[in-house]
Amino acid sequence: MSLALTSVAKRGTAFTTVHAFRDFLPPLLDRLNDAAKRKVHSLQDYFILAWNALRFIFARPFYGGDLVQQMDAIGVQSLGIVLLTGFFTGMVLALQSAVQLQTFGASMYMGRLVSASMIRELGPVLAGLMVAGRVGSGIAAQLGSMKVTEQIDALNTLGTDPIKKLVTPRVLASLIMLPTLTIINDFVGIVGGNLIAQFYLDVPTSLYWRTVWEQIASDGFIFRFVPNDFVQGLTKPLVFGGVIAITACYFGLSTSGGTEGVGISTTRTVVTSSILILVLDYFLTQILLSLLVAP
Amino acid sequence: MIDRDRGAPTDPPAAADTDKSGEPVDVAEARERRADDIIRRKQEERVRSAIQTELSEDDTGEERPRPEDPGPLRDAIIELERISLAFDRPILEDVSFAAFPGETLVIVGESGTGKSTILKLILRLLQPDSGRVYVNGKDIAGLSFTEALAVRQQMGMVFQSAALFDSMTVFENVAYPLREHTHLNDDEIEARVREKLEFVDLVPDEVVEKLPAELSGGMKKRVGVARGMANNAEIMLYDEPTSGLDPLTTGTITRLIMKLQRELNVTSIVVSHDIRSAFRMATHIALLADRTIRFFGTPEEMAASDERYIRDFLGGF
Repeated sequence: MSLALTSVAKRGTAFTTVHAFRDFLPPLLDRLNDAAKRKVHSLQDYFILAWNALRFIFARPFYGGDLVQQMDAIGVQSLGIVLLTGFFTGMVLALQSAVQLQTFGASMYMGRLVSASMIRELGPVLAGLMVAGRVGSGIAAQLGSMKVTEQIDALNTLGTDPIKKLVTPRVLASLIMLPTLTIINDFVGIVGGNLIAQFYLDVPTSLYWRTVWEQIASDGFIFRFVPNDFVQGLTKPLVFGGVIAITACYFGLSTSGGTEGVGISTTRTVVTSSILILVLDYFLTQILLSLLVAP
Repeated sequence: MIDRDRGAPTDPPAAADTDKSGEPVDVAEARERRADDIIRRKQEERVRSAIQTELSEDDTGEERPRPEDPGPLRDAIIELERISLAFDRPILEDVSFAAFPGETLVIVGESGTGKSTILKLILRLLQPDSGRVYVNGKDIAGLSFTEALAVRQQMGMVFQSAALFDSMTVFENVAYPLREHTHLNDDEIEARVREKLEFVDLVPDEVVEKLPAELSGGMKKRVGVARGMANNAEIMLYDEPTSGLDPLTTGTITRLIMKLQRELNVTSIVVSHDIRSAFRMATHIALLADRTIRFFGTPEEMAASDERYIRDFLGGF
């Protein structure tokens, strides 16, 4: 008797569970479907914006004044943080490596280690992250404010394409300035490493710089005079520059909901572009290594 | 041609005995029909006169527009023909009206009824789901983005927030459309900017170097008007031009819109819920309610209307 009752109770529970799923599942699937569609649409809009921004580089009218202004805002005004970041990163890299290198009596290779790390990885990634934080947030906040105060609509009504006027100069400036900042970052980082090598490891400056050059030359050249390390070190900031500017413009132009929306767009820009930089860095390294390093 | 094939007004639900306001349905129904009759009569008059003009002037034997695709109204500078638009919910349904050169058409209605959406349709910032928008007889609904930019250059738009470019001075703001779309030299641009600033009752020497953040709300609106008319636009669109302004500044902006019509014969479409200003400046008023044009006529006709909704909307005016 009690077994039969338990069985009925179990069947009852199963019945209720099935009904609960029937009521619960379709709305859940609908919501998931809507969310997926929204994400796909956002991605599509992102790539359309990127395509138009790049396409308009070669289309008239050219906003030269805006380009110079953005190069100043993105490049010149980021110089301070990039110099500081590069210098201290180079020093800390040398400091951390010093102990290990001394253990193996390989202090003379300090220049090789610092230059390889800075040129291939740390320079591009750190410059990218710094610019994403400083410039990306600025672009998103500026375009977001323009959106919520109807200035983007005003541009449209005055017969100007906002992508051409606002996005293209920022993307182009970023494409030019981030590799430039990376070169400066690399150099300052190597100089920082030089100071540590000289004062902690007693490695002469001339030896340090000779090993730096040996490292650069050891990975081979493209077209006989462009070192492979430079190709790696400059391809990455070019991609990162585009990603930062387009992500910032995308979130800025998608802003809604007043000043609160501007804050949200700014945060999303910094988070998204930082993640994209780190993820793309891995894939770019894979691709570049397979292309540049001889089997 | 406006409100084509609208037919008889829709009957109210038969099951209800009273309407929302508690009036018996037959009384409310009669009032609604009467209001609809007024709107229809007025619109038919305009259509008849337009058709008569067309018949008397166009005797060349050219193929006339077919009834199902009647084309734009002759002489109308802006015409919306049976426009419907929906986003998450329906915004506009079967909206039709026309504005003729030199008119000031004020679109009034409650907040969130799609008034500003109509301006965006005229500017081709939005595309209707169905219907046509004619500007100077040209259907702009099917234009590409680049072609739409050219159409927008014929119009000047004054935004609710003035939408002046923060990073530019007053001079650069007003000069912007001239630098973008004309080949005027610097002296000519400066002369034009000063002329427009004077037209909107600003002293050029006092404001040209200022940034928008340094201007009062009324001054921003006036600079917005100057920028809108810098290209000598024949159509001016205003989105809530008097909202957020004190009564004296509201009067100044209203007089400015009237001055544009009087002295430059500019056609103005004004979106507003400031009914007092609307009655002062409008040659025609369109009342937008329930996603469609509930009333279209002169301010006098609107004031004389005994439709309950219109009376309620006008309130104590």
